[in-house]
Amino acid sequence: MKTSDSEYRLEMTGISKSFGVVSVLENVNLKVKPGEIHALLGENGAGKSTLIKILSGVHQKDSGKVILDGEEISPKNTHDGQVLGISVVFQELSLVNDLSVAENIYLHKLGSSKFWMNWKEITKNAQDLIDSLGFDIDASARVRDLSIVQKQVVEIAKALSEDTKVLVLDEPTTVFDPTDTKKLFDNLFKLRDKGISIIYISHHLDEIFKIADSVTVLRDGVDTGSMAVKDTDTDGVIRLMIGRELKDLYPTRDVEIGEVPVFEVKNLTAKDTLVHDVSFSVRPGEVLGIAGLGGSGRTETAKLIFGAHKKKSGTLILNGKEIKTNTPVCAVGHQIGFVSEDRKEDGVFLPLSIRRNISVTNFSGISGKLGFINVANEYKNVLELIEKLNIKTPSSEVDVKNLSGGNQQKVALAKWLSIDSKVIFIDEPTRGVDVGAKIEIYNLINEVAKKGVGVVVISSDMPEIMGISDRILVMHEGTFYGELSKEEFSEENILRYSIGEKLKQVV
Amino acid sequence: MALTIKQQLSSPGGLLKFLVKHNTIFIFILLLIFSALISDVFFTSTNLSNLLKQVSGIGIISIGMLLVILTGGIDLSVGSMVALLAVTFAILVNVVVLPLAIILTIIIGFGLGSVSGYLVAYQKMAPFVATLALMTIARGLGFISSKGSPITFKTPGGEFMSNFANNSTLAVPNIAIVFFLIVILAMVLLRYNVFGRLIIAIGSNEEASRLSGIKVNKYKFLVYAISGALAATAAVIVASRTNLGSPNMGMAWELDAIAAVVIGGASLNGGKGTAINTLMGVLILGLIGNILNLLNVPSYPQQVVKGAIIIFAVLLQRFDSK
Repeated sequence: MKTSDSEYRLEMTGISKSFGVVSVLENVNLKVKPGEIHALLGENGAGKSTLIKILSGVHQKDSGKVILDGEEISPKNTHDGQVLGISVVFQELSLVNDLSVAENIYLHKLGSSKFWMNWKEITKNAQDLIDSLGFDIDASARVRDLSIVQKQVVEIAKALSEDTKVLVLDEPTTVFDPTDTKKLFDNLFKLRDKGISIIYISHHLDEIFKIADSVTVLRDGVDTGSMAVKDTDTDGVIRLMIGRELKDLYPTRDVEIGEVPVFEVKNLTAKDTLVHDVSFSVRPGEVLGIAGLGGSGRTETAKLIFGAHKKKSGTLILNGKEIKTNTPVCAVGHQIGFVSEDRKEDGVFLPLSIRRNISVTNFSGISGKLGFINVANEYKNVLELIEKLNIKTPSSEVDVKNLSGGNQQKVALAKWLSIDSKVIFIDEPTRGVDVGAKIEIYNLINEVAKKGVGVVVISSDMPEIMGISDRILVMHEGTFYGELSKEEFSEENILRYSIGEKLKQVV
Repeated sequence: MALTIKQQLSSPGGLLKFLVKHNTIFIFILLLIFSALISDVFFTSTNLSNLLKQVSGIGIISIGMLLVILTGGIDLSVGSMVALLAVTFAILVNVVVLPLAIILTIIIGFGLGSVSGYLVAYQKMAPFVATLALMTIARGLGFISSKGSPITFKTPGGEFMSNFANNSTLAVPNIAIVFFLIVILAMVLLRYNVFGRLIIAIGSNEEASRLSGIKVNKYKFLVYAISGALAATAAVIVASRTNLGSPNMGMAWELDAIAAVVIGGASLNGGKGTAINTLMGVLILGLIGNILNLLNVPSYPQQVVKGAIIIFAVLLQRFDSK
C-alpha cells in the first residue's frame, strides 16, 4: 500500500455540477480508503451517476477537487480516467456485440498497443482473467451470443486491469441470481484485499450491509452523510436517503374517486417482453402508482396496454366494454394516453413547435374535409392548453427543444389532454424536471384526475410516487408482486415488494 | 412567425441572422443579379423560358423527393422511373386516347412508387436499398419495353401534348405552370393539411409519432407512392417536350432532385424542409447550369461548380441551426 499524507486513496471534495439551469450536484464530498468497499446510496436522480461520471471523466465538474493518491486529477474523458486507474462498470452495458469476449476486454488498450496484435496471447490472457473470477465463459465467443449475466461479467473483467486503483460498480447485480451475486461478492472481497478501492452503487440495502465497509448517502445532489457501515442500520440510511418534508412538495388531493373502474386489465401477458399475468383496475379520479426497480417491466406494461408492444393474451376493459389496442393508433382511438419516460427520445418532437406538438394527436378535432386544418381552431385549442398548463413560452411557435424539461413535459401531457383522454399512463412524470415544475406537474396530474380520468403514474422516485398516488402497485420481474394502500406507503415496503420479499410484520 | 421581418432585422446581428435563415432565397437572388450582370442574353424571354422548361421535370420529382426526405427517407428510383414512364407514356399515347394515357401513366407511377413504399414501410427495408433496387429495375424495364430505342409520338394526342409542352401561356411555359401548381399544392399540403403535418412529425421523430397514435407505416408508404406519381407527371412532361419517350431519359435526375432539396435547406434526417425552399433549390441548380452555358463553360467544370454550391449551401445552414 502506498503511503501518503492522507488515509484516503480518493478524495472528492466540494464537487458541484449543473446541466444548464438544473443543478445536479452541490458541494458533494466522497472519500474512499484503499482496500475498502464504499457504498454510494441515494434515490434515483440524487446525483450518484453524475458523481461517478465526473470521477471517470465522462462529465467535467464545475467546481471542487478530485484527489487520487495525493494528486489532484481532472480526467477529460474516460480514457484519461482509465489511465489514472479509475475503472467504471456502468449500468448500461458498453460492449461491442460483434467482437469476441477477449477483444472486448482489451478493446480500450488496442489504440495504444503495437501495430500487430497477438490475438492468441490476448485471448489467453482474457481467458485467465475470466477463470480467475470464477465464471465459465469462453474468451473467444462472440459477445452477441452471451447471456446478459455473462455480458455483465465481461464488463467487470474489462474494467479490471493490473493498474486499477478505484473500481466503480453501478448496480452490478440487477441481472444476477443469488449464486452469481455471491461469486461477484467473493471477487470483490478478493480485490478489496488486494488494496483496490471499490465504490459500489446499489438500491439493494441488504447487499450494502453484507459487503460494504463504509457508506456515503446522496440526496437531491447533496451528500447527507458518510459513515462506517457498522455505525448505522437500514433505518438510519433510509432516513438519510429520504430526509425531506414530503408535505411541501406534494399537493393535497381532494378528489372524489369513482366506484366503478374506468379501466380494467385482466391477465395481460406480453409476447416479446417479461410482462406476464398483469391485472389491475383504475377508477375515475384515481391516481394509481406503479413502482418497481428498473427492468421490472413497468414501462413495458404501459407500452403493452398502449399497443406499442405485442400482446399474447389478456383483456382490456374501458368503461365496461372490452377493447382491443393492438397498435397505438387503436389506443389513441379509445382515448388512452401515454406519456413516455424518455421525453427526448420518443415523447416530444424536439425540432417542432409547441403548436405542432400538441396538435399531433388531435387532428380529427381541428381539421375538416380532406384533412385541411382549421388554423383558427388549432390556435384556440393550443393557446388554451398553453395557458391552462402554464407552459412558459413567448408563443406557440417556439420549438420544443428550446423549452426547459418541465415545460417540455407539459407539452407532452398537453397532447393527451387535447383529446380528452379517459386513461393516461404517465411514465416518470418528473424525470429531469426541476422542483418548481415538479409541483406544477403534480397539480396538473391532480387536475386531470379531478375530471374523472384514470391516471396511472409510473415512477422510480419513491417519495414522488408515495406523495401523489392513492394506491401503489409494485412490480417485480414482470408482474405485480404487491399492492400498497395509502396507509401502507413506505419506502421500505415498496423496496421489499420490489425485490420480491414480503412486508415486515407491523410491530 | 413570432417576429416580424423588421424586428428580426433590428435585433443585434439581425441582418446576418436573417440572411442565414433565408439563405436559399438570397443565394437565388444573388445568382440572379450575377447572371444578369454577366450576360446580356440572360434576361431575354427566350432564355428565361428555356430555363424554366429545363428545370420543370426535375422540379416536379424534387417535390416528390422532398416529401420522402421529410419522412427521413430517400428515393433513388425517380430518375429511372422518369425513363420507364416516359417510354410507357409514349407507348400508351400511341394506342389509347390522350387523357387515358396520362392517367394510366400516373397510376403506373403511383404503383411503382408503392413498391418502394411497401418495402420501406411494411418490410422495414432501408429506403436507400429499396429504392436503389427499384432504380435498377425501372431502368431495365425502360430498356426492355422500348427495345432500347426511343419511341416517338405518332397520334394527334401525342401532337397535342407536344404542342402543350413547348408553348407558353402569358409568357410562362405551360410545363412550368404545371410545376408551379404542384409546388403550390405541396405548400398547401405541408402547411394546412394533416398529411403534411404528419409526415413532418414522422420525420422529426418516428417513435414519438408512433406513440402518438399516428399511422406511421401508412404515411411512409404514401410518400413513396406519391413520389412515383410525380415521377410519372415529370415523365409525361419531358416526353412531350421532345415528342418521344426514351429509356435514356432522367439519367441521374434523382441526384439533382436530392441536391435541390438539400440546397433548399431540408434535412436528410427528416422533419425539416419546405416546398418553397425546394423550388428555390431547383431554380438555383437550373440557374447555375444556365449561366455557365451562357458563358460557354463546358459541362465538366459545371459539375464541379454544382458540387461546390451544394457544400456552400449546406455549410450556411449549419449557422442557422446554431
